Amino acid sequence: MTRKAAPPKADARDRLRRVLFLVPYAVRHPGVPVRDLARRCGVPEKQILEDLDFLLGVGCPPFAPDDFLDLYVEGDRVHVALHQSFSRPPRFTESEAAALAAAARALGGEGRERVVRALREAVPRDRRAIFEELLACIFAGSPPAKDSLLGRIEQAIAARRALRIRYFTATRGEESERVVHPYTLAQRLGHWYLWGHDEGRGKALPFRLDRIRECAVDEKRFEPPTDAELARGRLFSEASGPPVRLRLGPLAAAWALARPGQWRVVKRDRKGGAVVEVPGVSDEWATRFALSFGGNAEVLGPPSARRHFGEAVRRALARYPG
Amino acid sequence: MQKAERLLDLAALLLRASEPVSWREIQEQFPDDYGGSGEAAIRKFERDKAELLELGVPVRWVGGDEDLSAGYLVDKEDFYLPDLKLAPEDLALLYLAGSAALAQRAFPYARDLAHAMNKLSFAARAPGASEVAAVAALQLSADDAEGDARAESSARLEALSTAVAAKKRVHIVYAGAERQARTERDVEPYGLYQRGGAWFVAGFCRLRQDIRSFHLGRIVSLEVNAAAPRTPDFEVKKGFSLAELATRESWEFGVHAPVRCRVRLEGPASPEERDSFGPRASWKETDGRAVVEVMAQNQEALLRHVLSYGDRAEILAPRPLREKARKVLAALARRVS
Repeated sequence: MTRKAAPPKADARDRLRRVLFLVPYAVRHPGVPVRDLARRCGVPEKQILEDLDFLLGVGCPPFAPDDFLDLYVEGDRVHVALHQSFSRPPRFTESEAAALAAAARALGGEGRERVVRALREAVPRDRRAIFEELLACIFAGSPPAKDSLLGRIEQAIAARRALRIRYFTATRGEESERVVHPYTLAQRLGHWYLWGHDEGRGKALPFRLDRIRECAVDEKRFEPPTDAELARGRLFSEASGPPVRLRLGPLAAAWALARPGQWRVVKRDRKGGAVVEVPGVSDEWATRFALSFGGNAEVLGPPSARRHFGEAVRRALARYPG
Repeated sequence: MQKAERLLDLAALLLRASEPVSWREIQEQFPDDYGGSGEAAIRKFERDKAELLELGVPVRWVGGDEDLSAGYLVDKEDFYLPDLKLAPEDLALLYLAGSAALAQRAFPYARDLAHAMNKLSFAARAPGASEVAAVAALQLSADDAEGDARAESSARLEALSTAVAAKKRVHIVYAGAERQARTERDVEPYGLYQRGGAWFVAGFCRLRQDIRSFHLGRIVSLEVNAAAPRTPDFEVKKGFSLAELATRESWEFGVHAPVRCRVRLEGPASPEERDSFGPRASWKETDGRAVVEVMAQNQEALLRHVLSYGDRAEILAPRPLREKARKVLAALARRVS
């Protein structure tokens, strides 16, 4: 029996967590639209309206009129008079801080331990030991090798400054100079990427961090990306060209299909093998990927990818005279 | 009174009080909830108190003395999120780390992380943090609604995160890669790690009586021991290091006794190539060629790694592994010709 992804329950804890954020947020942003609150909390507007209803009933014993939250909704805008008790959100819970600290450690950078210390301080005193214990239970990946490069990229993202980079394109085996408006960083299939707008190419592209050979922060500032652009960064690497088709033996299929990736399984055989299609990858990637299964996978097509694979195999074999 | 309401009222009462609030006073304020005498009311209050603690509301009991009466209080200093007092570049790091982690969607405590990003917008004047949280929250609820494979794996990661934190035993059905057979086992989950974009749970496997790692994508089903959720089922074995396990190379997982292996790479090795052989590899570079030496406990895994470099790399030793490489490549060459 597989544990189903439970739909978000109208659980008391969820509600409380939400309102402990909502109230101070609304205090700080008078007249914030319901829609905006809903978006920030990741719940439907209806849920926020119910939360607000709930808040109207919340007071503080002995429940005299003054003890209730001074909250009203006008049109679709929410107003909360400065509330003594909930003017700021509570400290980080141990799991909130641990998740953020684990993410910071994986990203690396020179400031990571300072950040972890600051997070620890922001957890209630009694919970700090649990925070440390929990943090030791999450290892979100090894940081990229070049810390200084990452530091510069982080600064540029925060300051919204353009980056001049020398970038190595593996598929063409050459380096090129580019000016990039850095939007965000993302990790995909074990690699760190900078996602940003390439001035020369006039569109947003992913850049693998370990292929950025040189990088300098430019004086030039840029407009922050829209939500839509950022959201696209989450799903980057738009597919272009025909998908690569691979045959995976039973062993390779068991490994590969368990990994995250944009597979389309075309066919499965009875022994567990599969034919899959992967969109938007280079011939070189396909060859490396197939060979990484030690003979249990091959590239089927398109013809250029199949050729690339065949040539790589023959050249590699030539290294082992029989 | 509804539970959410009771908890918030209780938090408000304790936050506002300038002195500890006695149990009797609390009972008077919440007559329907904690009224009456005896164990049941106290137990109910203790459960509520525990929930508040988990939500970040530090309710404490203080024993009285001459100046102060005994009772419960929430230390305001210890409740409100302080300013993190970080330099802008450190804040940027935090913000980026959080958003990059949320962008992966599958991350331990993803929901908590989204909450943390929302809070970060208060703690540190980090504009944008709350934007990221908003996008992530939307994504998380969309995943819930879709009920697709991705939601499935996020839900599994979430369930395991909870089990790790509470030290609860899990029962899994696992589809092994090397052996096709499915096995059922009880695992004491010690921690979660990410490698090559995939998440693994590491822990003590009762079936194998040893520390094992399990690829989340190959866990067919998962059940967390639901009995006594606040009581830990196990202690983490002494000397266990998640980071050590997480950074182990695939050929360092013991299948056979350690064997010294040598690999030659054409041209000077790039930083990422060096990285890919791990921190315990030793390197020698001569005449534009690099020779790397590693101790392998799983030669098959090393072979796969070397083959992925195509004709850039070649196994030099041991001889049987070299022979194996030749055979694998010859078989592939026959297929593609």
